[in-house]
Amino acid sequence: MPGDIEIAVPERTVAKSGIAGVRSLLAARDAAFWPALREATHSARDFSEVLSLATMRKKALRAGIPVEIDRTIRLAIVGGSSLYPLNELVEQMIGAASTTGWWQAEIFKGDFDNYISEILDPESELYAFRPDVLFLIPSSQRCVYQGALTDAREQQHAAAIGTADDLLALAATAHDRTGAEIIVANYLPAPDFDPGPYRVRSLGTDWSFRKMVNLELGLRVPSYVHICDAEFLATQRGVTNCYDARAWFETKQLYAPDFAVDIAREVATIVRSLHKASKKVLALDLDNTLWGGVIGDDGMTGIEIGGTHARGEAFKQFQLAIAQLAKRGVVLAVCSKNDYKNAAEPFEKHPEMVLRLTDIASFQANWEPKSENLKRIADELNLGLDSIVFVDDNPAEIEIVNQFVPQIETILLGPDPAQYAAQLLNCRHFEPRSITSDDLQRGEQYQQQAARAQAMGSSGTDMASYLASLDMHAVLSEFTPVDVPRISQLINKSNQFNVTTRRRSEAEVEALIADPAHYAYSVRLADRFGDNGLISVVIVAVEGATATVDTWLMSCRVLKRQMEDEVVNEMVRLAALRGADEIIGHYLPTEKNSMVRDLFPRMGFSQVEENPERTTWRLDVNTFTPRPTHIQIDRRAYEN
Amino acid sequence: MTQTEILAKMQPVFDDVFLDDVKVTPELSANDVEEWDSLLQISLVLGVEKAFGVRFRVGEVEATKNLGEFADLIQRRMAETAKA
Repeated sequence: MPGDIEIAVPERTVAKSGIAGVRSLLAARDAAFWPALREATHSARDFSEVLSLATMRKKALRAGIPVEIDRTIRLAIVGGSSLYPLNELVEQMIGAASTTGWWQAEIFKGDFDNYISEILDPESELYAFRPDVLFLIPSSQRCVYQGALTDAREQQHAAAIGTADDLLALAATAHDRTGAEIIVANYLPAPDFDPGPYRVRSLGTDWSFRKMVNLELGLRVPSYVHICDAEFLATQRGVTNCYDARAWFETKQLYAPDFAVDIAREVATIVRSLHKASKKVLALDLDNTLWGGVIGDDGMTGIEIGGTHARGEAFKQFQLAIAQLAKRGVVLAVCSKNDYKNAAEPFEKHPEMVLRLTDIASFQANWEPKSENLKRIADELNLGLDSIVFVDDNPAEIEIVNQFVPQIETILLGPDPAQYAAQLLNCRHFEPRSITSDDLQRGEQYQQQAARAQAMGSSGTDMASYLASLDMHAVLSEFTPVDVPRISQLINKSNQFNVTTRRRSEAEVEALIADPAHYAYSVRLADRFGDNGLISVVIVAVEGATATVDTWLMSCRVLKRQMEDEVVNEMVRLAALRGADEIIGHYLPTEKNSMVRDLFPRMGFSQVEENPERTTWRLDVNTFTPRPTHIQIDRRAYEN
Repeated sequence: MTQTEILAKMQPVFDDVFLDDVKVTPELSANDVEEWDSLLQISLVLGVEKAFGVRFRVGEVEATKNLGEFADLIQRRMAETAKA
């Protein structure tokens, strides 16, 4: 059967997993200890398991098993409960957020129920610690409606808003004093039956009031606040399992031991999302993934999708889940061992299919290895391999992708198609920190790119007339608060067209808006095929007569469109306005940014210095002639 | 179960928590083992509860002075569970 070609599965390098495996690697002082520790930490579900892994980590460090500490996070935890041993769990979970090494979390623990004064007192130890991230776990005792259950609903609602605002005011104070990103745990659902079903009939009951406060909190957060959604996590685990009265009385633990693991994992996930972008592409197998059966054998009438069969319904539900992600900006691709004609037919003609050919940005159906086809998908979409998540029901295909393109995350479906949708929606690879309107249009944008590629291919004319035919319009703007989420998204995920690869948090980006020592602007580009959205970001530091390019990045979607030329024109214009007479640019090489190695010389900069860490380039502002392009500039930065 | 049998059944729990040779004896207490901090104490109590299928009441583990007394406590809680 075409869908079940025999594949020689390469041997796994990490043969053992689980606690026992990690333990034997520790005993053997094997360097494979660290990848195994990361994997075991990711999958650990109970408190004792995580603590045991943390103990192994400490022993491994003492024994000198080598590991690369690829990031250090200064995290302060403050709250209305004892923060020990939660800190140990958080430290272990953050460590495992590294892809290839270990992240070191340096943790400050606030005193029991002292968070308000720790945050309000500018001289507190919290501020002396200088955290990058603050995790705030407020006290449930402060989330109680003080009036009567029968008070007017408006009054109860106003009290809930007040409680949420008080918490956000604390977050704002801490953020203003440290610049730290703030993670706030919201309130746990009330676990007890009392006062019975009446609980939902008044906002004044603990059950309703906490839910309302949590809602208002989430709806009101500024960009530097991230909610650790304890309410959701507790609901998922079962609320009564999240409390442990004995642990509260004995050691002032807010969370039951195993639930503390959920919280620690969530904090680590948030910390990780501050530094790593979520995935962009979902690459899908077809046979027994998008539909039941094998299209090449069973044909259009034989495959199971939708209709009146239970199995067909399950596959349809999976497609609906995929469509839901696509609607939010996840780009879809197909990677299947099939003849193209067979593979495409259900997308074109099957009435029960949810996904259509126009939903698929890159369609690879052939008999090449899937690892090769995934590389092709990355090339076609102009994205890195590490932005792809690959889904297949065949363990051998998953294994081969893990082995040959380890940058790609994989999801092995199965064995029951009823679980496919839930598997995808719980994979946690596609969680946006914030959703921008650009994200909502992304699928369209990639299809437009395909249309542009076709326009170029079919016209066969020269580059200049192609560019002229695109009818491009750009808007250049100084950074604005509303653009901050998209700008930081680009700063934290662009790897290829990025001369310095400097990352910044949303809070740091926001700070640049009013920073007199920098000018910073973003670029939006539209053309006759559609709006590309915000696609380029530039940050320049000005000191005396010298302007230095701190950050210059661009989405690869708009490569070869002369956008970089217009970016330089603007860079020079603003440098002159700020009184600079030279612009200095540095290219800091990474594994991924070789495409901009020659960007500065291409734009007329001349070389000043070269060494392995960086090359340095200079442009004379006074003798610069604006570079001609086919882009119409509708607005320039810092102009009203 | 006798105290000796209970102590023997505690040994694997200790092995898992300490990842080192810590010999379970009736006289042993947290003061005798350098690594035995409040963190490992929590792990030990959870591990013992799981291994013996018991649940201690608030404050009572703290009140035991050594593993002998702890084993006696386990024995009492087991007897209760058996009756229930």
